[in-house]
Amino acid sequence: MYLPDFEYFVPESIAETCQLLSQFGSKAKVLSGGTDIIIKMKNGLLAPEALISLKNFEQLRKIEYVPGKGVVIGARVTHNEIVFSELLQEKYLSVSNAAQQMATNQVRHKGTVGGNISNAVPSADLPPILIALNATVTVVGTKGERSLALADVFTGPNTTCLAQDEIITEVIIPDQEMNCSTYIKYGLRKSGALAVVGVAVALNVENNIIKDARVVLGAVAATPMRTKKTEDFLKGKEISEELLAEAGTIAAGESKPISDIRASAEYRRDMVRVFTKRALRKAIDEGRHI
Amino acid sequence: MSNVIIDRAGNKRYLVNITVNGDSYEKIVKGNSLLVNFLRDELDLTGTKRGCELGDCGSCTVLMGGKPINSCLMLAVEADGLEFTTIEGVASTNEIDPIQDMFIEYGAMQCGYCTPGMVLSAKALLTKNPKPTELEVRTAISGNLCRCTGYVNIVKAILAASGQEIPAE
Amino acid sequence: MSKEYAVIGKGKRRYDGREKVTGAAKYCGDLKFPNMLYGKMLGSPYAHAKILSIDTSEAEKIPGVKAVITAKDVPSLTYGISPARWDENCLCIEKALFVGDKVAAVACVDEETCYKALAAIKIEYEVLKPVLDYRTADAEDMPQLHEKYARNINTEIHQEFGDVEKAFKEAYYVRTDTFAGQRAYQCPIEPHSAICIWKDNKLTVYSSTQSVHYFQHYIAREFGLPMGDVRVIAPYVGGGFGGKLEPTGLEFNGSVLSRITGRPVKMFYDRQEMFQHNRGRHQGTYIITTGVDKDGKILGCHCDFRTDGGAYTSLGIASAYYAGALLPLTYEFDNYKFDNYRMYTNLPACGAHRGHGAPQPKYAFESHMDNIAKELGIDPLDFRLKNARRPNTVTPNAFIINSCGMKDCLEKAAELSQWRDKKKNGLPKGRGIGLGTGSFVTGAGYPIYRTDLPHASCMIRVHEDGTSATLYSGSVDIGQGSNTVLLQMAAEAMGYRYENMKMVSSDTETCPLDFGAYASRQTLMSGSAVKQAGEDIKRQILDMASNMLGLPPEDLDCVLGKIFSKSRPKVEPLTFEEVARRFFVLRGPVIAKGVYTPPRLGGTYKGAPVGTSPAYSFCVQAAEVQIDEETGQIGVVQAWDVHDVGQVINPVTLHGQVHGALFMGLGETLMEEVKFDDKGKLLNGNLGGYLMLTALDMPPVKNALVDTYEPAGPWGAKEVGEGATNPTIGCFRNAIFDAMGVSVNTVPLTPEKVWRALKEKNEKSEAK
Repeated sequence: MYLPDFEYFVPESIAETCQLLSQFGSKAKVLSGGTDIIIKMKNGLLAPEALISLKNFEQLRKIEYVPGKGVVIGARVTHNEIVFSELLQEKYLSVSNAAQQMATNQVRHKGTVGGNISNAVPSADLPPILIALNATVTVVGTKGERSLALADVFTGPNTTCLAQDEIITEVIIPDQEMNCSTYIKYGLRKSGALAVVGVAVALNVENNIIKDARVVLGAVAATPMRTKKTEDFLKGKEISEELLAEAGTIAAGESKPISDIRASAEYRRDMVRVFTKRALRKAIDEGRHI
Repeated sequence: MSNVIIDRAGNKRYLVNITVNGDSYEKIVKGNSLLVNFLRDELDLTGTKRGCELGDCGSCTVLMGGKPINSCLMLAVEADGLEFTTIEGVASTNEIDPIQDMFIEYGAMQCGYCTPGMVLSAKALLTKNPKPTELEVRTAISGNLCRCTGYVNIVKAILAASGQEIPAE
Repeated sequence: MSKEYAVIGKGKRRYDGREKVTGAAKYCGDLKFPNMLYGKMLGSPYAHAKILSIDTSEAEKIPGVKAVITAKDVPSLTYGISPARWDENCLCIEKALFVGDKVAAVACVDEETCYKALAAIKIEYEVLKPVLDYRTADAEDMPQLHEKYARNINTEIHQEFGDVEKAFKEAYYVRTDTFAGQRAYQCPIEPHSAICIWKDNKLTVYSSTQSVHYFQHYIAREFGLPMGDVRVIAPYVGGGFGGKLEPTGLEFNGSVLSRITGRPVKMFYDRQEMFQHNRGRHQGTYIITTGVDKDGKILGCHCDFRTDGGAYTSLGIASAYYAGALLPLTYEFDNYKFDNYRMYTNLPACGAHRGHGAPQPKYAFESHMDNIAKELGIDPLDFRLKNARRPNTVTPNAFIINSCGMKDCLEKAAELSQWRDKKKNGLPKGRGIGLGTGSFVTGAGYPIYRTDLPHASCMIRVHEDGTSATLYSGSVDIGQGSNTVLLQMAAEAMGYRYENMKMVSSDTETCPLDFGAYASRQTLMSGSAVKQAGEDIKRQILDMASNMLGLPPEDLDCVLGKIFSKSRPKVEPLTFEEVARRFFVLRGPVIAKGVYTPPRLGGTYKGAPVGTSPAYSFCVQAAEVQIDEETGQIGVVQAWDVHDVGQVINPVTLHGQVHGALFMGLGETLMEEVKFDDKGKLLNGNLGGYLMLTALDMPPVKNALVDTYEPAGPWGAKEVGEGATNPTIGCFRNAIFDAMGVSVNTVPLTPEKVWRALKEKNEKSEAK
């Protein structure tokens, strides 16, 4: 296999990056970890005329807690850096665990959270848990910086609302009331598999009552999706096996899976039911934020 | 990027400086050159293999700053200024590394094609985590596909190389 | 029985171990030659199409393109690995028969230029209706793929032994079950490649091949060259599993490109092209009817199969015969009927895939056995013990069984898995235990093409000062460890040391003929030749030593390089080195040769040769599974394998083979499946979409052996490389059946299928 020809740039600043992106328009692509884009180029799905490398930007490689903001993850942080981050393991273990279930060990050492979000695959593993934790992204373009909810970034399969000249610089998990969370990925094998169904759950549990809930599904719609009916159903209710099972059934009804070579829509829908129930149970039992 | 030349066809070529197994190399590469081909064709380090070219099999695994990555998914230009270890760099003298020795002792390779990638994944693991659990070993090699061994003896060899007892069958 | 030997039976470190762990081992794709070009072939984008015209002019203009060839530039002689069906062309002449079928080839200065050149070749096709379903390939409205084969029937088999109808009439219970299996692919991690160097009228081909001989034979035939002018060399081979046994377009077209350009040409497949080339597992539908008496003794069996052969025959005739031929091995019954239709379809050709034609039929058979056992209220283990084959018996299809540890394997598997306790006390909800038996040939009784050549031959040469000895064998180590095992056998027979042995193999120029690595033949067949050569070396050494010591040769023996008197322990032993050196000085090189031809085996019915073998391995696999009732996921708690392999030559390589075969069998059981769209295009021709088990998926495995001695094998040895794929699928289906009471009748046994079966079961019981 081979890659089409392109011009390679290594800008020295983010401003220069956005400038180059603006100049080339849709003919340029950002190169972060490269694990998605190189594959697409080899498969003939992409043939950018310019690749703009973010290689120089060490400042995008940090994971730190910023008071007033929350946990800030630079866009160039790799998935394994998320897995092994002591800060994340302590504050939001669910995010580290979600990253651990992605792809393979080698891809996790190279692929980045910014790249993963920009690629916008409906079965991606990090977006659901980040959305459940109310994450926002900071996006920078030639016109300046803006912040948006991660949930609003995805507009369709493999498409985001980012403008041509914009790049993600950081993902922020804000301080929040949610005190437990988890992500369950259901794949057809234990490594190197796309999610057939992914369920992320973040809850505010107090005295066995679910005060607030966010349930986000992956791989069963065009984008990661919130389940409003399920969340509304759970709010204010006392935890019981029946409650969680019912929540699963409602989530299954809200999901919009398709049939593909990995699974049928019918099976996926039932797996949403099963794994929503199990994710809720797991979040409550094991997913306490410290 | 500095050090850019234009070739006869009007395409840009780039001068890169890549350190492999402790040796520094300066070569001119096309933008679309992949690291795996650079290693195999420019440097004649054919221990790094091509099995699938899409990052699924791990036979192209090299260590980038000690971390295992798929060299088939990395551009040679992106490797500029970085340090890599290939299988040829694991044993730096005539003595082989304990991991390699245990691989032979436990019959952890059959056709041998996945072996360079496996050894590097194991090396990266034991450097960071000298006494891994069996689950940690399996996770470390979960991106290296082997069609011959069923991974059974590979896991044993890595545990043996870490000086730990191998769980009874 | 198990005897202690000096060299064999020991877990010697692999001969090529150091090369492999240091990355020094060179595979075909690693080799470079001066002035070398790169070559690739263009595949048809359509599953079934007439080739109307090919315009290569644009491709030829691209800088760096040195040659572009189409059918008119290559021999038109049809070829194929099965002589009865030479149905392939070096490049398609009139029609392309599957997506990826080879229609043109290029040689260029680098890989990238090859891809660009292929893209610039303009071909006009007339798209024809494709035949994509083997089950209806012979329907009235289906186009015919090959002129000579009406209704797309590639191979039609009807065999009958004894009287099955009578057996069914006398049976207490007759049952019919239908099962189906999927297409799977060998997926060696090393892609095929070949480097062809045509100089004057000598052709050298380096290839990732399982058999340098068959490649040499068929390449010489294709180009009308004497075999002596064709040299085939296999460098290190990164796995074959049956898919690298036949020459491909890479060798044929690479040779033509080398002849035209006068330069070495390196041809290769990328991973998607590997899937297109295929030669993997035939999928099939298996209808089995068996009649048993009231105690569960099998009286007769009728197997009615239909399999998907893809666009060409490859090794498929043998596969079609093997599908039924091996079924009477593990159980004794006299009445057997076997029908099989191997169909042509416009999909990649299927061939010999580890276990060769047998794993899916055996899955059907073992599942069917458990269904019968359940109906009769008999424990599946007892059912099998009742019917288990015994040593020194003959199958209804005339295969002679010498050693047979079938019963011992069953008992041992039961012991290891604590079968009887678990059956008595029951297992927790969702958990089940199942088992399956297996058997396989140790080398095929007849070669792939009709010839009276011996199957194996070799030479041993002792170095002038006796400090090393070299074995020359045309066998090929494709990862199974044959180099190591044969060197151990040589050293044992010579009375020498493994550590001082050297190997020269897999090169038709330097090594005597050997048919290569397939049908699990090398340990027994190549090994028999090696034993003979080694014993001759020892005889020559002892003869010389007898002169030096003044003692009769019958009084002497040689073990681990020391020659001593058996009756006079006080006599100072001689070293192998001093005797060999003396021999060389007085008589010249110490050389010996060995040769092996199997005895004439088999019956006289049509297809009788397929399934014949000097010896058969036997095995049992058992598995304990935990089914997740909500998702259908099959968690394997533990897998056991008990094997009857006769004498073990190297326990480490032996167990390694069992692990690997079980891993492949488990992959086909749980997740491997090649998928196509409705136009015959591959949907998952890559290793992210075609799923094989990763290190995290492989369950714990416990292996054991039973003790037998096979008179037809060197020191009593038999095969192990392929037989371990035989019981796997059936074993797991039976474990699921035990756990959940549902039968999944198609492979792979995916969670979704288990889920669906459970759903249907629950709906049925709710309806009651």
